[in-house]
Amino acid sequence: MTALHCLPRSLMILAGALWLTTAQPALAQDQPQKGGTLVIAVQPEPPTLAAYQSTAGPVGQVSTKVYEGLLEYDFQLKPRPSLAQSWTVSPDGMTVTFKLEPNVKFHDGKPFTSADVQFSVMDVLKKVHPRGGNTFRAVTAVETPDPLTAVFRLSEPAPYMMMAMSSYESPMIPKHIFGIGDIARHPNANLPVGTGPFKFVEWQKGQYMRFDRNPDYRKKGLPHLDRLVARFIADAGTRSAAMETQEIHMGGFSAIPPVDVKRLQAMPHIEVTAKGYEMQAPIVQLDFNTTKPPFDDVKVRQAVAYAIDRKFVIDNVWFGFGRPATGPMNSNFKANGLYTAEVKNYNVPDGVERANKLLDEAGKRRGPDGVRFEIIHDMTPYGEEWRRFGEYVQQQLGKIGIKVTLRYEDVPSWLRRVYTNYDFQLTSNWIQTLADPSIGVHRLYHSNTIKPGTVFVNSSRWSTKETDDLMDKANVEIDPKKRAALYHELQKQVVEASPLVFVHELDFVTVYNKKVRNFPLSPLGLYSSLDQLWLAK
Amino acid sequence: MALTKSLTYALRRLSQAVPTVLVIIALNFLLLQLAPGDAADVLAGEAGSATPEFMAQLRSTFGLDQPIALQLLLYMKQIVTFDLGYSFRHGMPVADLIVARLWPTLLLMITVLALSVGMGVLLGSFAARKLNRWQDNLISMLTVLAYATPVFWAGLMLIVLFSIKLGWFPTSGMQQVAAFHEGAAKVRDIAHHLVLPAVTLTMFYLALYTRLMRASVLEQFSMDYVVTARDLPLGEPLGARRHVLRNAVLPVLTMAGVQVGALLGGSVVVETVFAWPGLGLLAYESLFARDLNLLLGIFFVSTCLVIVVNLLVDVGYSLLDPRIDLR
Repeated sequence: MTALHCLPRSLMILAGALWLTTAQPALAQDQPQKGGTLVIAVQPEPPTLAAYQSTAGPVGQVSTKVYEGLLEYDFQLKPRPSLAQSWTVSPDGMTVTFKLEPNVKFHDGKPFTSADVQFSVMDVLKKVHPRGGNTFRAVTAVETPDPLTAVFRLSEPAPYMMMAMSSYESPMIPKHIFGIGDIARHPNANLPVGTGPFKFVEWQKGQYMRFDRNPDYRKKGLPHLDRLVARFIADAGTRSAAMETQEIHMGGFSAIPPVDVKRLQAMPHIEVTAKGYEMQAPIVQLDFNTTKPPFDDVKVRQAVAYAIDRKFVIDNVWFGFGRPATGPMNSNFKANGLYTAEVKNYNVPDGVERANKLLDEAGKRRGPDGVRFEIIHDMTPYGEEWRRFGEYVQQQLGKIGIKVTLRYEDVPSWLRRVYTNYDFQLTSNWIQTLADPSIGVHRLYHSNTIKPGTVFVNSSRWSTKETDDLMDKANVEIDPKKRAALYHELQKQVVEASPLVFVHELDFVTVYNKKVRNFPLSPLGLYSSLDQLWLAK
Repeated sequence: MALTKSLTYALRRLSQAVPTVLVIIALNFLLLQLAPGDAADVLAGEAGSATPEFMAQLRSTFGLDQPIALQLLLYMKQIVTFDLGYSFRHGMPVADLIVARLWPTLLLMITVLALSVGMGVLLGSFAARKLNRWQDNLISMLTVLAYATPVFWAGLMLIVLFSIKLGWFPTSGMQQVAAFHEGAAKVRDIAHHLVLPAVTLTMFYLALYTRLMRASVLEQFSMDYVVTARDLPLGEPLGARRHVLRNAVLPVLTMAGVQVGALLGGSVVVETVFAWPGLGLLAYESLFARDLNLLLGIFFVSTCLVIVVNLLVDVGYSLLDPRIDLR
């Protein structure tokens, strides 16, 4: 409580810092050390631990330590064994058979079997998961010929499903616990029991969640950590300060704001990485309301797309964390061949001139004051960067004769405006294209996703027969080459019509203490189990 | 005699408060309906995506598909049985959520009140006795400066100085999470974490009580009884000080009672900056999440708290000044 009381602690920090700077290259650094408590800043505090019911980012950062999925993924976005040790897809794509890892136990000691897989998919994920109804729409039954075999029967091939079997997207939960009672408000929602490397211990709301090492974890000798604590600190400045004083070891997604990342990066004990977000793949975009003038005219939309200088936005608003986007799919999909850059290119040096020319052609002449027309630009309410971005859009569109008024509301108001009332003209937005375009991308362009009241779907309300067909075919195409060709064509058509402006691929960053080793080991980053992560003493 | 009198007085006051509370609840409920968007929008928004069936299912579970009047009626029915309802967002009964967050709030609030009223009374009466001398000017200047400093900025600056530069105090939280202390070590740990947030808030409220106390003491000085007492052989130091202080502290007490409400709300900033797990932060988050059940529950508890504290203040008056009758 007094200066004296704290003296040893500050000395220890000092000693630690000295050790880090002087002794780092020595010793066998790659030999994992056992023990220690990892403290992660998770922002905001998750509303619940029911990962089978919420895919909210902060939930995924904690639930994935307790629950596991059937598969994991590598950086090439290829499936890897997890709870399923092997799997086979029948030649017609209508049956998927998973062979489960033997001798896996839930944290309460009961065995994990194919009955849990059947229950998780058919009774939980398909029914109460925000995306599960879509991911498993083709699944008609999960058969359990023996305790270690689960057979998925499909009504049509579903190649996208195999990309959505991670612990974050499709957690496997125990039937003997969640099978009893109402799943929507289950007493164990916040007392999770899974098969993962860490056991849930307690959740002090507003403070922290504590997870202790699971000594009976199926992978021998793992996890390396004794304990994992997720802390909730509402203020961004304080989070950065706690990173500086080493009270927390890491923070990802937007826990540390870009402006502080630059500052912290320069410190000797801190490391920064943009890896580990490959399966989120968010794109920053400007959504048009394509049903009303002026943005019902493709030329006007293209003009706006030309007017935005992507590099300027990345460098000045997002402090360099990102790459220009070319179209509806993130370049992360290059890893499995679905992405193409051969589309109409709006990112050109003479964008403003081209935009002015297009607007003239569209008949939007400048008035005596140089203004062609006025619009209101809504800014997506997810933080300061979006305000800066809005100000940039205002300035830049001013150059092409569009007078912009800015509007910033809170999250529920904005969601209601954009996805229920469609009462907007141009709004900034960021959409995660997720693990497979069928899950992450189709929802923004398909005519069957124009659903008032459902968020993060087709709010621009643009669609064509041709693009709908391309997406329907890609859904069921099991030949990877043919599927890629369908997506290449889709990207060309969408970019040409420009129902939204594709600005840039947003890079999340994880800021972490250099004591943290073996991170990230998966494209799911903080959404992975962290069983191999260890802390240098 | 006096005890039974205060007791019947308290009971009467409390029964009078019941209709007030009910009206406040109804008003809160209706005001909150003005905010666009609902809890289902937010939950689905956080999920990043959702199917239409999922959203319809959420709304019917939350009862959001019912007409407003019916929702209000159902809520009032619940509240009269002291059932605060269920927060679907947190998957917990509202009462449990509030109770868990109430004591950190009370701990912070009582510490701040005790510090700011106590120090305010001392500094204020000292300043009054050194009227217009350098001590008085220094106290006035410093307290007003502290009052004018934005709370979040003061908090962050204290963190920079005492946590980052000096390493004396932790930046945030209520406990050291890597250690999970028990027993006496836990109490010490919490007290250690309490210092910075309490100091930040006290700095803000101190000015108010200091100024009020100073003015109040000066007013008492001009009263006949003080002027007379000064001429008596006892002299100023002993006799007058006791009487003056007792009389002068009454307005400060009134102010403290009124401030409890403000303190409940005003600590949101401090709770945010120092990640102190109190009610203010919970209310703030539930507003943006449109978790109306929880928000109404917090409002209800705050209302009750303010009523009880004001009652205590009134009883406190009569203890300090027996001439004030409890009627």
